[in-house]
Amino acid sequence: MKTVSKNRTCVALTLAAVFLLAGCDHLTEPIDGPRLIDRFGDFSLIEPLGESRPSVDFAAGESVAFTARFNKQVNWVLEITGQTSGAVKRFEDFSDELTDANALWRGGTTELPFFGTEICDVALIIPDEEVDTLRTIVEVLSVKEYEGNVAADFNEDAGSDIFVGNFEFELDASSGLSAEVRPAEGEFFYLLRGTDDVVNNFFVGLIDIKATITGETYFPVPTSVPEDLYFNMFLYSFGTPNTIAVVQLVFDENGSGAFEDGQDQVFAYGDIVVDWVGWQHFHKPMSELGLTQAQVQELVAIRVLLISDNNAQPSPPLPVDYGIDYLTFTAGGPLQL
Amino acid sequence: MLVATSALSQEPSNTEGEGAGIQFNGLGRTVLQQTGIGGTLLNTDSVTVENLTDGEFLLDLAVNAQPNDVTELQGVIRLRNEFGGFFGSGVSVEVRELWARGIIADAIKYRVGDMDVALTPYTLYLPDEAGVVNEPEVFRPQKEIIYYDEFYSEFNERRLQGGSVGFGLEFDRGLDELEVRSFIARLRATNFMDTPTRLIGGGRIGALSPQFGPYNSQAAIGANLAYTWDDLLSGDANTGIRNSVFTLDGDLILLNRDQIGLHLIGEGGWSKVELRTNTDSPTEGQVPTPAEPTIEDTDTFIELGLSANLKRADLSVSATFVDVGPDFYSSAAQSQRVDYTRTKSFYDRVGNDRDVRMVTLFDLARDPALYTFRVANELMAYDPRYGNVLPYGRATPNRRGARFGAAYAPSEGPLDAAVDVSILQEIRGQGTTELKDFILIRAEANARVDQLIDWNRALEITLGAQRESTSRSGEPVERVNLTSTLVEAGVSAEVYDRLDILLGLKTRTSDGREYVPTIENFNDVEDFPGLFEVDDSESLWGLGIRYRFRDGIFLTLQYQRFSYGDDSFPAGDYQLNQVFALYSMTF
Repeated sequence: MKTVSKNRTCVALTLAAVFLLAGCDHLTEPIDGPRLIDRFGDFSLIEPLGESRPSVDFAAGESVAFTARFNKQVNWVLEITGQTSGAVKRFEDFSDELTDANALWRGGTTELPFFGTEICDVALIIPDEEVDTLRTIVEVLSVKEYEGNVAADFNEDAGSDIFVGNFEFELDASSGLSAEVRPAEGEFFYLLRGTDDVVNNFFVGLIDIKATITGETYFPVPTSVPEDLYFNMFLYSFGTPNTIAVVQLVFDENGSGAFEDGQDQVFAYGDIVVDWVGWQHFHKPMSELGLTQAQVQELVAIRVLLISDNNAQPSPPLPVDYGIDYLTFTAGGPLQL
Repeated sequence: MLVATSALSQEPSNTEGEGAGIQFNGLGRTVLQQTGIGGTLLNTDSVTVENLTDGEFLLDLAVNAQPNDVTELQGVIRLRNEFGGFFGSGVSVEVRELWARGIIADAIKYRVGDMDVALTPYTLYLPDEAGVVNEPEVFRPQKEIIYYDEFYSEFNERRLQGGSVGFGLEFDRGLDELEVRSFIARLRATNFMDTPTRLIGGGRIGALSPQFGPYNSQAAIGANLAYTWDDLLSGDANTGIRNSVFTLDGDLILLNRDQIGLHLIGEGGWSKVELRTNTDSPTEGQVPTPAEPTIEDTDTFIELGLSANLKRADLSVSATFVDVGPDFYSSAAQSQRVDYTRTKSFYDRVGNDRDVRMVTLFDLARDPALYTFRVANELMAYDPRYGNVLPYGRATPNRRGARFGAAYAPSEGPLDAAVDVSILQEIRGQGTTELKDFILIRAEANARVDQLIDWNRALEITLGAQRESTSRSGEPVERVNLTSTLVEAGVSAEVYDRLDILLGLKTRTSDGREYVPTIENFNDVEDFPGLFEVDDSESLWGLGIRYRFRDGIFLTLQYQRFSYGDDSFPAGDYQLNQVFALYSMTF
């Protein structure tokens, strides 16, 4: 009898110990909810804004890391602005420090145009705290070399490699290579400007950029997989109303090695209503345009049209315009700015 | 041997008689009250009405039928007329309660319809409300209205609608008794759109051993399950919860002598909560794709301690270790009685800016609109001034520490008293790695003074007190230091045959700072809306007379006055007062 009762007591105490140990072992996060110091703590700067190098050679693969440390996590914005180009690179995060993990600049841009070789102003803005903007500067010795194959960058006169279709004499004299505004890349961009006031048919003018501009029969592409091959272009809008851009990729269907209008197959990027101000990056995979693997390897021309939206135009119609720059093909995704 | 268990906790409190037949019983109630508001806050308030008058006439008519010895049915129809209602306006007729119960084969008890069910404080349980320790008699009539309307019982049961069965077994050897009970109920109906039907099911298997060993030891153990789930086949909803809580509880009598009894008591268990989303909508004739959990939390708890009963001294003491995990979630045990987010019946908004008035002792004492018996969708909002240490009762998550209790409770005698102390700490910091420390002290005492001074009419004094302190160190912004003190005192004196004078006082003071989280995903801290800084006090006193016509029938006339003061914002001070007459009859 004693043995039985001893055993029962032992079992009970063992069960109790097991429960005790099991109950105390919680899989737990470090804290519950947002950090109080982040929500309600006073902000203070522990380490000021700094940069890993005063000048940077992006073409040589260099990068520059910015550093700063705070006593709490905050929303911050690091804005790098080219003094000459006006290009802007922006980093944003919610953290208590800037490191090479969240503020490493490899020469890219957030707001076009691209950076040039120039002095850049760097500003650290902490919008939710009452603190002055922290500033420094960085000099760009050489610009970043972007990936992909360039189809056209309009940095020099292309001669007969660009055909200007001013069939109705509606493009004005300013059309052509231009530096009227800062180009997205390089020294010039191509400006299309005119008024649909001769033949009222929406069409103002066009250019055909022939693949021979690259020195090849067909535009070189980094991959032939249509899903992976991206067409990129930068369009500049002056904010002019009633402007429509149409861009078409031309496949050499008849195999002649040259663009013959009416014989080669045209794939349209789609109508782009040009209604913003500044440069914008447009990109699509070739599969979305409907090109096959064979077709993307035999692109013979790129046609760029200026259209006047006469449905919205007053009478007489107003001039329309836009700029285009840096047409590229990239693999695996859009051009990484 | 199979026997119908008596432990189903389903006995109706208002049925009378035995055997076949039909009986009528119920409750009638008339209350008329006038409430006024004044004070500094009203000096600049040109909007708030300074006096409100309201009341109701109510009859709950219960029809209890017993067609045979093993079957009983009851329905309660409520007829209610608001004060000022005429010719149908303000009149409502509703079915308040409907149930049937019986015994199958003289062995298995069943019940369908409305039922009150409780398992353990961690599985299915209605926690005690905050703001009350030992309610003075003068405030009880109004509180009893709330308790009656919200189906609160003295056993912390929840009112459910569904069905239950149970039976008990008695053995000659091995075990003394085995009790089995199970239930299923619907907590919520679907709206046929985004809200699915919510159900709860579960039960308990309990066993009692024979006495054993040299100290007359005996063991009682139980396994409990509460499972709450959404039926994703109801309506068009595709998201619902699964909350399962499984516990084992036990009471091992280590020593059972004439002078002393020593128990090892405890409960431990596990909870899991999931939010499941169906990836596609089931169509007729197709098997629906199993729902995938989008949120999943599991955690454990343990409560283990010793209690001693010093029988000759009528004294019992206990010490318990408590560890409830931060992610422990038991919706049917953690849902509170008071929903602080509800709109109050009286003066919910005051001032020219119509700011929401914070809940006070006055509201807790009289406003049924703040109370609920429903199981909440997630941890409910709480007011740290009334309960910051254990806002969700014993099943409050994220607590570890010790609880001590002592009670002097003679079966006869002029005095009884009890004190409970909880010394707890968070397991996981909220908004910081620093942990809050909690101390809760609750004490209550009842003195039947007539027995002490040999007076021939009833004279009783009741006392209650609660002190809570919460503290946390760390960076200045992380520091917490909140102290709240609640004191209750009441006198009930029979001055003439069945005529009582009632006097009572409740005060609360709170001082300090705390962060009260908002909750998302059942029990996760979503955010801290702001620092909760308080330096306020309130007092409620009441004076009245009560005439008891006989047991269950009384008339009481009372005057109550309430004052609220905020030292950090004196312009917000105000007073409330009310005069009311209540006639209540249970028949």
